[in-house]
Order: sequence, then structure tokens, then C-alpha cells
Amino acid sequence: MINTEIEQAELMTLLLAVARSDRRAFERLYEKIAARMFGLCYKLAGQQELAEEALQDAFVQIWHHAGEYHSDRGTPLSWMLTIARYRTLDLMRARTVRRTAGDEHLEHVEDPRSGPLDHSLRRAGAEQLTGCLDELSDVQRDSILLSYYRGFTHDELAQALSSPIGTVKSWIRRGLMALKRCLER
Amino acid sequence: MRKTPERVESLAAEYVLGSLKGKARSRFERWMMESGRVRQEVWYWEEKLGLLGNQVPEREPPESVWLAIQQRLWPQDDTRPAVQREAANRVWPVWSLFATAAALVLAVLLVQQPAPEPTLSGAVVQADVSDPLWLVSESSRDNRLRLRSVAATSAEAGKDYELWIVPDSGNPLSLGVIPVGDVYQVKLTDEARETLSQSRTLAISLEPRGGSPTGAPTGPILHVTKLYEL
Repeated sequence: MINTEIEQAELMTLLLAVARSDRRAFERLYEKIAARMFGLCYKLAGQQELAEEALQDAFVQIWHHAGEYHSDRGTPLSWMLTIARYRTLDLMRARTVRRTAGDEHLEHVEDPRSGPLDHSLRRAGAEQLTGCLDELSDVQRDSILLSYYRGFTHDELAQALSSPIGTVKSWIRRGLMALKRCLER
Repeated sequence: MRKTPERVESLAAEYVLGSLKGKARSRFERWMMESGRVRQEVWYWEEKLGLLGNQVPEREPPESVWLAIQQRLWPQDDTRPAVQREAANRVWPVWSLFATAAALVLAVLLVQQPAPEPTLSGAVVQADVSDPLWLVSESSRDNRLRLRSVAATSAEAGKDYELWIVPDSGNPLSLGVIPVGDVYQVKLTDEARETLSQSRTLAISLEPRGGSPTGAPTGPILHVTKLYEL
């Protein structure tokens, strides 16, 4: 688990060095987070080739834009994962290589509140977030998680959840706002 | 469209989630360029939702990705003399052995982690009703299926709704009569759970009060719903 304060501080140091075009630091950074980032890209894309391309693009972007990171954008790790996630979504949309949204194609989305990563090293922020997810209705939570982890569009969600698209949209919108209200408490 | 705080708040969240698409997405990206407040809101969500990304299991990318990244960033590097390149190539098998060993260790570690059981979830909907009639969720821990009634209305007089698992083949399995306006929980037998996890299909039929007298659906099948894995 690389999500401890110490690890974040180390990633921060590496990122600063990368911003100064330090190639060794860049390589270290890759070694540290590539598997984590690739896990996310792969989960989202559901296919190896696209995930590899997204990972490549994300690291090229990180090399060029490391200097633009600042703490308002979250931890160094979540900033880099966000870059990878957006890149994966872009590629998925550009290719329109989509799942047919048949249920048999839905792999299971790890419930972030349990599973192998759910141990004491998890940061307080993550606990706060998942605690708030618990407060949402099942469909709100599911729609948000399916969008986040699988990049489902409204259409795909509507199909997967056998519900009208307007309903799905309002689940997401209300779910996100309820999440924010809870996180701000 | 004006940048009201409510719109910024809601669009930023959807932008980060990825559900904002096409023209709406481009328009919002323009807002981000124009306004620091909009960017702040986006960063807020990137940080919060980013925490979800920390929870995904790792996956080792192939070595070719790192090589491709280097190739893209520093294409001139490959102008080394051929002899040097060969020497570098000879080192490879050793490294890949190490890599295999590392992968094995990782695999062992992963196998030792208890695999999270997939849980099923879904909604029973009707075309002209905006809310779902029932919400279904499964708890794999205690083998329970939970049905929460949302917009369902009571069955006609003298009738009841009965819940069924529809297997991939064979006869439906009854899960009992479901009340309206309440939460209904049923404990699944191992057989029922196995069948459900394969077919992931539930049905609701209209039956005489107290449920089907025959053990098979006798009335009209009102709803068939497919559950999805979470």
C-alpha cells in the first residue's frame, strides 16, 4: 500500500524532481506507481491494449506537466491517477470500443468498502468518503461507482440498471450532491 | 448558460466522474479555463473521487510500456552504437528472471488475500414509473437478498406478489410472497444462491393471496429483472 503519508511525501519529492526533468526520478516514479495506475486504467477500459496506451500517455503527460501539480489538486498520487483516468476515458470515447452493456460483460466492481485493500493503512479521507457512500441510496451509489470504475455512460448505466436515462441521470446528480453534503459535514 | 454555483457544483462532479460528455463536456472545459472557481470545484472532486482510485487492485504493466514511454520522450536515445545495444540486450534475460520471481511473489501474496465476494444489485422498474418499484441488493456475507419497496403499489384485492429466481434452465425457485411498502429480506439456501449467481435473474408474478398454490408461478409474470454484479 503506498497510501501512507511517508509514501505521499516521497512521491511529492519525485514529482518535484521530475518537474526539473530528472529522468532517474521519473523512472523511480514509474516503478512506484505504474502497477497501481495500470490497475485503474485496466479496470476502467476492461481491455489490456487500451489500458497500456492510456498508461503510456499518462506518464508522458506527467513528464511534461509535473510542474503543474499543487496541493489543491489532491495528493500527488490521486493527481496522477486522475490524469490516467481521464486519458483512459478519452481513449475509450475516441475508440467507442464499448462493452455492449449486456450484464454478462459487467465484471465486478470491487466494493471500495471491503476487500483486500481495506485495512488500517487506508487514509482517513478515504474512510470518510466510503462512509458517505454508505449514506447514499443503493442505486445512487451503484451509478456513481459504475461510472467511476467502469466509465459507464448514461446510456450504458440505463441499460445496466434497466432504468430510464432520466432516472439514471438524476440518481447520479443527486447522489453526488448528497456525497458532497456528507463530506462537508 | 450562466455559471450559477449550483450548476458549477453539479457539472464539476459529473465532469470528474466522467459522465459529462460531448458538447456539455467541452463547454465545461471552457468554463474551467475561464474561471478559477470552476477549477477549484473540479479539484475538489478530483481529490475526493480520486480516493476511490486508490482502492483498485494493482496490475503489473508489461515492460513494453516503459520502453515505449522512453522511446516517445527520448527517441534520440536509441542512437547508441549497435555493440552497446547488444550488450544491453544480453542483460535482459537476467532481469526478466528477476521480474518473474517478483511476479511469483506478488501472485502468492495476491492469492493469500481473501477474494471479495461479488454482490448482486438491481432494480425492478416499470416503463412509465420514474422511480424503481423495488430495489434489490444481495449481501454475500449472510446470504441474504433484500428487497426494498420504493414505488411499488399493493397487488389487487385477494392477490399477492411472489418473488422468483429464474434459473438459466429449469423451473423458477420461489423466494416467497413480498410485501409492499416495506423491506423484505429472505435468506438464500446455498442452492438458491448458486442459481441466482449464475442466472442473475429475478421475476415477480401475481399470485393468489398467500402465494402460488403449486410451487410454480400460476399468475402473470409482471416483472423480470436482471441483477448486475457490484
